[in-house]
Amino acid sequence: MSKLLKAFLFATFVAFPFAANSVTVASWGGAYTESQIKAYVDTYSDPSAVQFENYNGGLGEIRAQVESGSVIWDVVDVLPDEAITGCDEGLFEDISGLYDTFTPAPDGTSMIDDMANSGVTNLSDCCAPQIFWTYVVFYDPDAFSGEKPSKIADFFDTAKFPGKRGVHTWANGFIQMALVADGVAPNAVYIVLKDQSGALDRAFAKMDTIKDDIVHWSAGSKPLELVKSGEVIMSIAYNGRVGAANLSEGENFEYIWEGQLIEQEYICLMTGAPDRDRAIDWMIHASSPTSQAEQAKYITYGPMRASGIDIIKAGEPWFHTGISVMDHMPNTPELLKISVMGDPEWWSDNGSEIDERYAAWMGN
Amino acid sequence: MEVNISTAEQILTTDGIPLKVSLKKTERKNKIKAFLLVFPLLLFIIVTFVVPIGDMLLRSVDDSQINEVYGKTFEEYKKWDKEKDKLPPEAVYKALFNDIAYGDKIKIGRSITRMNYSKSGWKSLIKKTRREIKKIVKSEEFPTSYKDWLIEINEDWADPTFWYSMSQMLNESTSIYYWNAIDRTFDQDANIVMQPEERRMYVRTWIKTFKVSVYVTFFCLVLGFPVAHLLANLPLRYSNLLMIFVLLPFWTSLLVRTTAWIVMLQQNGVINGVLVWLGILSDEGRIQMVYNQTGTIIAMTQILLPFMVLPLYSVMKVIPKSHMRAAQNLGAKPANAFRRVYLPQTVPGMSAGGLLVFVLAIGYFITPELVGGKDGQLIGHWIAYHLKTTLNWGLCSALGGILLGIMLVLYWLYNKIVGIDNIKLG
Repeated sequence: MSKLLKAFLFATFVAFPFAANSVTVASWGGAYTESQIKAYVDTYSDPSAVQFENYNGGLGEIRAQVESGSVIWDVVDVLPDEAITGCDEGLFEDISGLYDTFTPAPDGTSMIDDMANSGVTNLSDCCAPQIFWTYVVFYDPDAFSGEKPSKIADFFDTAKFPGKRGVHTWANGFIQMALVADGVAPNAVYIVLKDQSGALDRAFAKMDTIKDDIVHWSAGSKPLELVKSGEVIMSIAYNGRVGAANLSEGENFEYIWEGQLIEQEYICLMTGAPDRDRAIDWMIHASSPTSQAEQAKYITYGPMRASGIDIIKAGEPWFHTGISVMDHMPNTPELLKISVMGDPEWWSDNGSEIDERYAAWMGN
Repeated sequence: MEVNISTAEQILTTDGIPLKVSLKKTERKNKIKAFLLVFPLLLFIIVTFVVPIGDMLLRSVDDSQINEVYGKTFEEYKKWDKEKDKLPPEAVYKALFNDIAYGDKIKIGRSITRMNYSKSGWKSLIKKTRREIKKIVKSEEFPTSYKDWLIEINEDWADPTFWYSMSQMLNESTSIYYWNAIDRTFDQDANIVMQPEERRMYVRTWIKTFKVSVYVTFFCLVLGFPVAHLLANLPLRYSNLLMIFVLLPFWTSLLVRTTAWIVMLQQNGVINGVLVWLGILSDEGRIQMVYNQTGTIIAMTQILLPFMVLPLYSVMKVIPKSHMRAAQNLGAKPANAFRRVYLPQTVPGMSAGGLLVFVLAIGYFITPELVGGKDGQLIGHWIAYHLKTTLNWGLCSALGGILLGIMLVLYWLYNKIVGIDNIKLG
């Protein structure tokens, strides 16, 4: 009996090691969270005060915690449309009044202006900026004997570059690329989507042209396997995954940056966070330009603070293995010109309808 | 005298209490004891099963939150004669202004998530409008015509389709989620109509989910029956070894098995490689066996197979071997003896296994998601999608409710045809 009791006590102890006094951050796990821990926790004044937990994204668990009144997370790493919706619904706490206390850029630019310099309007009053990640097309140059693809239109041109294409099972990213491939300027994609009633039909018509050549994936590691095994000739992927394969695993993948969709990532404060004040302190640390640049040492997602990119540029070779990283950064000023900047507000209005249409399209 | 007779007829226990009363007392004691023993389980089931499912079913029809926020607007809205006026009257606009101006920020925030299900665009329309309204409330310079002012700040307020979509929200309880779950919606007069063609995907997904589940159940039965028969009839030392072959994959992580199937089936995978090497396939003619329905069915069949084999085995194990011998002694050919003597006795196992596999298959999520490609989106995918991404818990619950309904119908059919007493799990 006492053995059982001991086991039980031990289990409780293991299950809630620091539950009482530490900041719990929910994030996506994998290499991404590892890079966050190295850049934001190990450099924090008290590394033992912050611990990461994995979750699968979405606001479902967050809403469940807040609605049931048992909030166990302090900070959550979320997609931009979720940052907006979560703030609207009161799942996240409004911290806009504290933005002045967040670390300014080295030249004194405030955090919000520093984000604006990267082309981002801060849309959620409850969150602090993290990174840019993108949907980008990549391929293995060794798979091409002659000319290699270089424009997003090549992704949609199976006559010129025969072979299957890897595409994810939801619409965001693919729609925008289809419009760019159809001749819309990258910075006009959302303008067209908003103002032209037939814009979606146009995108779907373009997607129809390669429909029979698509292999669909849903897990982020999949596109790399698909391209590596030769199952597809090129694929859409998260840029950080491709960067990791190139920088850490010695692969030699090439990107087609044109038409990539740049999405944002935020950290938000949970309403009723158990360790609120320290959580805010850590959020200030994690969104400072130096911390954001630090993260790029471990993963090739771009800092959302424009001054973060400057720090990386000045410090090259920046990657922790001593390789230069700028060629893999998705949000350099040159790339911003040929990329589509995501509009999370429009997507949170229309995303679910488009996803349903996309599912119907895939199934046909 | 009469009283005496009746007491004489009553049997008394030694301490003078009528036997009936005494028996009842002990019986009640036993009943209470038995109840106390099951009570923890009963409580557990109520807390972890009945309450959450009840809550889920309530959510699938509940629309009270939005009525709380726009109570006044809806009241005025109901007076709007859609035949006569293209747009609602001034009173509706004014009520809407007030509901947004003085409503709780978070409640409005939650309501717009809900409104956006009815028509895309509500979310930003209300948010932008609220910002403007806040400015007016601060300056206290209220417009003379709320209608004109609202249309001026955002022309969407002159778009009747937004107003029409409001008719879906007027009642505290709604059936809209159930209709959405089968590709239907309400038009402006609350008649049920089909969704626009390009959005119709739920019915197709339901059919696909059913098809996959039926296939998986069928293949599990076809593959599992001989295995279970062999297991039940081999000498113990061989059957134990074979049993390990059944159980080992069962104990292996789901993800490992799913990934293994991808390695086996992909175009540059093991099976295609061997077929090309043997010259059966040309290098260009490699078969697509994964990231489609075939892959889903193959992987799910393998993963769910033990759920068929184990109940079948436990039933076959107890069928006396003498039955078959007796049938053959009496002149039946082996095939006939098998069909008429052996097979009927395995029905409880087949039905238990079949029901188990089907139930598991119909709600399956992770394997189709990984190996199914575009065909991997079974109904479980959409439940997860609405739970996590769109926060449309109403639709989510409706999909779950329909799934539950299907299971109850199946159970009822099963009970009618086979009889639930015949089920045997072990």
